[in-house]
Amino acid sequence: MGNRNEEDYNFVFKVVLIGESGVGKTNLLSRFTRNEFSHDSRTTIGVEFSTRTVMLGTAAVKAQIWDTAGLERYRAITSAYYRGAVGALLVFDLTKHQTYAVVERWLKELYDHAEATIIVMLVGNKSDLSQAREVPTDEARMFAENNGLLFLETSALDSTNVELAFETVLKEIFAKVSKQRQNSTRTNALTLGSELGPGEKKACCISL
Amino acid sequence: MAKSRGENGPRAPAAGGSLSGTRESLAPGPDAAAADELSSLGSDSEANGFAERRIDKFGFIVGSQGAEGAQEEVPLEVLRQRESKWLDMLNNWDKWMAKKHKKIRLRCQKGIPPSLRGRAWQYLSGGKVKLQQNPGKFDELDMSPGDPKWLDVIERDLHRQFPFHEMFVSRGGHGQQDLFRVLKAYTLYRPEEGYCQAQAPIAAVLLMHMPAEQAFWCLVQICEKYLPGYYSEKLEAIQLDGEILFSLLQKVSPVAHKHLSQQKIDPLLYMTEWFMCAFSRTLPWSSVLRVWDMFFCEGVKIIFRVGLVLLKHALGSPEKLKACQGQYETIERLRSLSPKIMQEAFLVQEVVELPVTERQIEREHLIQLRRWQETRGELQCHSPPRLHGAKAILEAEPGPWPTLQPSPSIRLPPDAPLPGSKGKYKPPKQVQKEQRKQAKASGQRDKPPTPSQAKVAAAAGDTCPPRDVPPKDLVYQDPQDSAPQDSAPQDSAPQDSAYHCSQESLTSQESEDTYL
Repeated sequence: MGNRNEEDYNFVFKVVLIGESGVGKTNLLSRFTRNEFSHDSRTTIGVEFSTRTVMLGTAAVKAQIWDTAGLERYRAITSAYYRGAVGALLVFDLTKHQTYAVVERWLKELYDHAEATIIVMLVGNKSDLSQAREVPTDEARMFAENNGLLFLETSALDSTNVELAFETVLKEIFAKVSKQRQNSTRTNALTLGSELGPGEKKACCISL
Repeated sequence: MAKSRGENGPRAPAAGGSLSGTRESLAPGPDAAAADELSSLGSDSEANGFAERRIDKFGFIVGSQGAEGAQEEVPLEVLRQRESKWLDMLNNWDKWMAKKHKKIRLRCQKGIPPSLRGRAWQYLSGGKVKLQQNPGKFDELDMSPGDPKWLDVIERDLHRQFPFHEMFVSRGGHGQQDLFRVLKAYTLYRPEEGYCQAQAPIAAVLLMHMPAEQAFWCLVQICEKYLPGYYSEKLEAIQLDGEILFSLLQKVSPVAHKHLSQQKIDPLLYMTEWFMCAFSRTLPWSSVLRVWDMFFCEGVKIIFRVGLVLLKHALGSPEKLKACQGQYETIERLRSLSPKIMQEAFLVQEVVELPVTERQIEREHLIQLRRWQETRGELQCHSPPRLHGAKAILEAEPGPWPTLQPSPSIRLPPDAPLPGSKGKYKPPKQVQKEQRKQAKASGQRDKPPTPSQAKVAAAAGDTCPPRDVPPKDLVYQDPQDSAPQDSAPQDSAPQDSAYHCSQESLTSQESEDTYL
């Protein structure tokens, strides 16, 4: 990838999971960060998060994935939740059309609180229950394309596309960060934040 | 509970292996070990030999949130003594609440005997009174069809509350059924409130100790008297309490307060689940029960104190902060608290000794409310003021009224003539007869208060919210509020309550609560 230094870059990318209650946000989180899934994972109340460090090329990227309650009234307390997020997975349950029908509302909520440059992926979860499908793939994909969103169908239960979903979002974020870095002067690049040498522990979130 | 990384649970082969790197398994919460046990079984745990799992004395699968490590057991003789004391109190509840409330408080602090806990909670919370005042109401709600919008959300949550507790582990089992009934009933009882997800763990804890109807009324009391507004639209009450908590922290632990300030960590990022679930998802179970014993007696200040104690001991010293360099690490520390600071004996002692009072909480509430109005405008949801514990609740709702009478409830107007001798409550004849029957059965007679009893009574009465604060211009006591809360008219003049007509004033003479 272009004119990169040999030195490793360490980044922390904050990614938020949003979507209706019960679509599978918490299990996507646990599947990606701990390779776990539970039918009976607790209702999320408040905020949960987990991290996973991945290598994108030679860069070590710590993905900080945030998860919160999906129920409508919890949106009143989510501004702290969105702060500093550079990526979002907007999740719906492809076996429950109602959770897809409200996607536009979630998008609005997202853009009201997060940076306009946030990378967003629309995720249709529970693809393992294809026999109960209520949202056609093409319809969702079309919506995503029309709105500048990435799109994938996943199953936290059998792991289908979970890694790919997060990986894609992280790569997009990273590409954006790298581009900004290349286009800026050295001073500007430093103000982006967490550019660390190897062995340094402290990191912070990047705002694009 | 530490859990080894990703060794258990259904696993799929890594798809393509395009991402390499470490998986960090951060403290996944108190249910982790049992998650391993059950997740491989899916949800049909009973069919797959669930009966062979070991269950602890609280009903949890061994390894989950229940008993962790060696328990300090109360010696049997002490337990039996406590039981008889509690039986005496429950059989003479009105008298004890009027004259020996401090003793009740002390006994709640020591822990209610498990055999009487469910009953005691009903008495403390006023749920029992509510039930007697509303005969048949729960059945009526239970038999009504609910709003499909709420039912849909509730159903999604039934298997997600304490799934490692034997009562709730089976999908469609009696525990989950009762949970559904209670939560549905609430959405019908208060349709303008509807359902809030944090009510589910609250209801579940109640159901572990009492049947559905009783649990329902205790839930009502929690949602309306102890924690009004917590579960309402906009969640404004919890946001305010987050600010109050943070503000109180400054005196309790300046080090923790400074750190959280510098890290710019919004209280909602750590206290939301604590407060909305009354710590039922945070602490080891024996500690949860002790906290709830005190909470039902003394009200929300216990919740604040627990939060402050946890913050102080998690973040209260430079050594502890060494591992919390960033926002993320700090929040993570607060999510995986050291078992030592959550341990029953330690936690209860710290909570009892922490000098944070209702008065301070109410004062801070006003400050934060003003700040809210300046920066965010008016509150959108006006909740009634909260009642700080069992005594305040009882005084706001005198009763029980005889359930045999045709009219559902009778309230004496504040200026009604008070029958009977000084300091003695004379209820309507029928209740009096019942009480005399009860008194005979328990071997005691109603006596006029002795001088020593009067002294005890005089020293009590520290649970009343400060009435000397002018209420008129407080937004949260907006008289235009048409919420169906019945506490508003009665809260305005507890001194005139037909129930309490003894010499001592209900507003505490002392400036601070005292602790035995």
